[in-house]
Amino acid sequence: MTAPRRLRKELGDLQDNTLKSFRDIKADDENLLRWTGLIVPDNPPYNKGAFRIEINFPAEYPFKPPKINFKTRIYHPNIDEKGQVCLPIISTENWKPATRTEQVVQALIALINDPEPEHPLRAELAEEFLKDRKKFVKNAEDYTKKHSEKRPAD
Amino acid sequence: MSGGSGEEREQQRQTSPLPGVSSSASTSASTGPGGRATPEMKRSTVRSLIQRYFHQLQSGCGNAACTNANCASSGKVAPMTPNEVAARALQLFSQDAQLCENLGQAEAEASPSVAPVSVISTLDIDMLSPNDSSSSSSNSSSSSSNSSTSTITSASTTTTTSTQSQSVPAPKSVSVPGASASPSARATPPAAAPISTSSASSSGACTTNLSAVKSLEASCLISLYEECVKKDSYDKLYQAVGDVFSCVERLSRSFVRTPDAEEEEEPPAASQPLFPAKPAEPLNKEQLRTLEGEHDKDEDSTQQAGAVASTDTAAAAAAAAVEPEVENDDDAGPEDVDDEDVPMEPAPKCEAKAEPVDPSMSSDTLVDFEGLRRVQRLLFASKSRTVTDKLTSSVIQLADWIHYMRRYTPDWEKVVHCLVICFDLATNTNNMDYLDRVLPKLCLAAASMSVKAQARLARIWAAHCSDQLQTLVSSCQQQITLQVLLDEESVRENEHIKCVTKVLKIVFYANILASELESPSCRVSADELAECAASTSADGVPPEEDLFLYNQVMHPHMPKFAEDQMEKALKVSAIDCRKPLVPLEEFYNEALSENIQMHHDYLSYKSLAMESEVGSSHSTYFSFMLYAFILTPATKVDALYYDSRMRMYSERYSTLYSIINNFGQDGQDAQHRPDLKLTVRRDQLINDALVGLELVAMSNPKDLKKQLVVEFVGEQGIDEGGVSKEFFQLIVEEIFNPAFGMFVQQEETNNMWFNATPFENGAQFTLIGIIIGLAIYNNVILAVNFPMVVYRKLLGYRGTFCDLRDYSPTLYTSLKSMLDFEGQNMEEAFDQTFKISYSNVFGEMVEHELVPHGQEVLVGQHNKQLFVDLYADFLLNKNIQQQFNSFRKGFEMVTDESPLKLLFRPEEIEMLVCGSREFDFVELEHSTEYEGGYTEETQIIQDFWKIVHAMPNESKRKLLEFTTGSARVPVGGLKCLRLLITRHGPDSDRLPTSHTCFNVLLLPEYSSKEKLEERLLKAINYSKGFGML
Repeated sequence: MTAPRRLRKELGDLQDNTLKSFRDIKADDENLLRWTGLIVPDNPPYNKGAFRIEINFPAEYPFKPPKINFKTRIYHPNIDEKGQVCLPIISTENWKPATRTEQVVQALIALINDPEPEHPLRAELAEEFLKDRKKFVKNAEDYTKKHSEKRPAD
Repeated sequence: MSGGSGEEREQQRQTSPLPGVSSSASTSASTGPGGRATPEMKRSTVRSLIQRYFHQLQSGCGNAACTNANCASSGKVAPMTPNEVAARALQLFSQDAQLCENLGQAEAEASPSVAPVSVISTLDIDMLSPNDSSSSSSNSSSSSSNSSTSTITSASTTTTTSTQSQSVPAPKSVSVPGASASPSARATPPAAAPISTSSASSSGACTTNLSAVKSLEASCLISLYEECVKKDSYDKLYQAVGDVFSCVERLSRSFVRTPDAEEEEEPPAASQPLFPAKPAEPLNKEQLRTLEGEHDKDEDSTQQAGAVASTDTAAAAAAAAVEPEVENDDDAGPEDVDDEDVPMEPAPKCEAKAEPVDPSMSSDTLVDFEGLRRVQRLLFASKSRTVTDKLTSSVIQLADWIHYMRRYTPDWEKVVHCLVICFDLATNTNNMDYLDRVLPKLCLAAASMSVKAQARLARIWAAHCSDQLQTLVSSCQQQITLQVLLDEESVRENEHIKCVTKVLKIVFYANILASELESPSCRVSADELAECAASTSADGVPPEEDLFLYNQVMHPHMPKFAEDQMEKALKVSAIDCRKPLVPLEEFYNEALSENIQMHHDYLSYKSLAMESEVGSSHSTYFSFMLYAFILTPATKVDALYYDSRMRMYSERYSTLYSIINNFGQDGQDAQHRPDLKLTVRRDQLINDALVGLELVAMSNPKDLKKQLVVEFVGEQGIDEGGVSKEFFQLIVEEIFNPAFGMFVQQEETNNMWFNATPFENGAQFTLIGIIIGLAIYNNVILAVNFPMVVYRKLLGYRGTFCDLRDYSPTLYTSLKSMLDFEGQNMEEAFDQTFKISYSNVFGEMVEHELVPHGQEVLVGQHNKQLFVDLYADFLLNKNIQQQFNSFRKGFEMVTDESPLKLLFRPEEIEMLVCGSREFDFVELEHSTEYEGGYTEETQIIQDFWKIVHAMPNESKRKLLEFTTGSARVPVGGLKCLRLLITRHGPDSDRLPTSHTCFNVLLLPEYSSKEKLEERLLKAINYSKGFGML
């Protein structure tokens, strides 16, 4: 299977030095442009579960940015019901070809741990997050318990 | 050789020895008259001088108040026989006696320097001279020159009080011609004349002389100004300005930038004053020598060198003034002056060196812009209106002279220097008087320059005055608009407009030169194009499969006569310029475009074309089509329209003729239709169109230029334009449908792009090319969405990295950031090889090596630019080459002979094809007309607009499509649509209908606003087909 040299290298690097918050990284057998991985957040209310994401690289990578999708449902102001996430580092305006996937993932983890209600994809969650933090945390925890994957044991 | 005013001779002398150099006074002085001139040259100069003395003695200068003892007009010349007169003339010549100016004037009335005569002689000289001597800051200079010159003048029999005329007003700067005493009379007779007259009228013989100012520098003008302010008398300034600004020769020596490195002291002061003096002296000597048959000058050199060495900057002025004298005494050759000048003023030397290569390629200028602008503020801010007035009238004189001299090929280099100065004054002032009166004249002068000189001017402007271009453009536009408003009827005959247009062209090119240019040019050479065309038929589809056998040699888009000489001379093209300094839209002149009456202008264009075919080049025709930048797209569309109509009619007539000829022979009539008829089935649209157009293209490609008439099988619409509009719209819809596989829609931009792995053969791409050509030709707007690079490529340019910005902004910014990456670890940071990948139409990843074995080549600092260029070249050119060439072939089949390329830039072609992209329905409302009892006051009409304005954009688009057959805004905006709303009976349940060919909306007078809205929306949402509603 062909893939851009850069992509293969990045995959190898990520698999070798395991990040605590991003595990289980695999490339699709048929398509090296599609990766999956498990986000393991540290902060409440998401630290009770793990979230599967999919990273899709365009054929033109690294000259076009990858896209990230949540396969696991998550109660988060910056991630919509379809699992789409708005991450500035991979927006077409900000994308730099020298940016590594690892940096992208780090940015994603930071966003999960600390939501940015100023730029929400789900306005109602953002409002709740700002106005009634307790309620938000409770809802998010319930949601996480209900939908998220099991955290890897270590 | 009896003619030839002083001015002319001066020109001759200074241009011929070393053409083009003389903008620097030093060179002109050094090469001097005798210096390098051919013996014939010298002889003729001498002969003409002697003849002038002869005339002066015999007939006089015509000035009753003449005081020249050697002029018949003064009454002091004793009666002589012609032989005696001749002998005397010879004698006077050898003595450098005074020559009257009026003589020159009588012989050649065009010398503007004549004018100052009257003005200056009226000056209050008493005022000036005493001050002069006292205020002289470098007395040494004047005194030494006095002494030096006096030796010569003493020999002169004339009233050479001018020796004392070292009344250098602010001597540092203003050079005084009189310094050279009587000889100067020969160098610049016009200047000398006023001196003598004025000196005679004034009391003191030795103090009162006022000589013409020969050149001005910023610093000296400023000190002169300050002096004048102090005395509250601006006479001297007045005189200086008048002297210098009215004469090319003098102005071209003025405001010369000085190389700061070489001189501690103010250099212009030191070096300038001697220039006027010098040419006179050496000439003198040279002439004498010529007379005496002496020709050896070699011995001079060494002696001269000594004199040169003594020229210290401290006493530069003095030494300089002495210089000529030294030369004379030692019989020094003028060539040596050259060497001496080098340290004083290296700049002209440089230019002299650059000159022989190609003067018009240089952007160097000696104009001292900084100084000039300081002066400008001063001149126009000056309380004394007379100075400003003087400046204005002087520059007008100057411009007139240039215009008059255009046929005598003056030294354009000097003219350019002057024009740079004068235009700079114009753009830096808001003095309306100067602008209104001077600018037209300046434009006249600039327009009469040779192309090379114009190109030179453009280069100078681009290099040194780029900040002025905006102002220059708007000043020119104001001039044109003003003229148009004054004279709406005969816009095309108005000389002023023509001239300013020509100048605007210079500005246009200066603007392009001053902007960032694509380099090397992205123009595809004709050879390459031919190669492309050949390769498609050769290695592409086998010939029998290539349905459009169009192997005819492509006609060049650009007829020879229409080739832009400026473009050639400057080797730039507007298309190479991505981001013009002044937006090119600012070069459109609305007023002109509206009043130009394009059909007349098109006739001029045709006449030019005919003339060039016949081979006569001395044309009096002027067509704005050759100055397309000034015309708005809407007006250019008119031109194209007339062109295509002309072609259609000529095709039609020739067909009619052949029909008549073949009358009685049957079966042929399908081929001899006066129009291009296409019969298509709705469900087989593409195939039918393809086969139909193929037939035409194979049998007679010229038929493609006929008016298109479409018939849908089984439908009754008569094609007055509406049916073919729908045909275009449907075919475009189908061809561009991504499911059809010819084009892919780019996710990011929604642009359509050629499918790199198409299932169709080239013929279908040719078809879409023809369709686009036909659409332009038949004035139909298409709903195609190409990135701009497609239009650039159609006009013969190749896609480059810059085109990616529009093609795929993400890719562009990524590659740009790669280019901007400065770290040395680039190989690691990017891990990018020369193998790239992209996804094809099926979403599969395809890889491509940009260079052989690109997989093994990493991109680093040394080859990143190459990578980016190859990447762009691959995406925009190579990867779709076959498809695009087929496409272009189709386009060319229709447009090959039209002035499309002459008139339009790629951006404008896009507008032509797709219309502009914004809906301004308010504009539409204002231009809408009503019929059948409706007015804009009618309730239903008011409701209609209320509904329409409240519509979302998508519905507006549909409404537009419903009423006009196209969802795009025509070139020129919605107001050009001329929507007509007609009453279609009283209230009923019928839906609104439309005639798309005439942009008519038929609207029953519904009973309520609600009903209107409901019916209208239904109509626009369910419309398709013609005449169905």
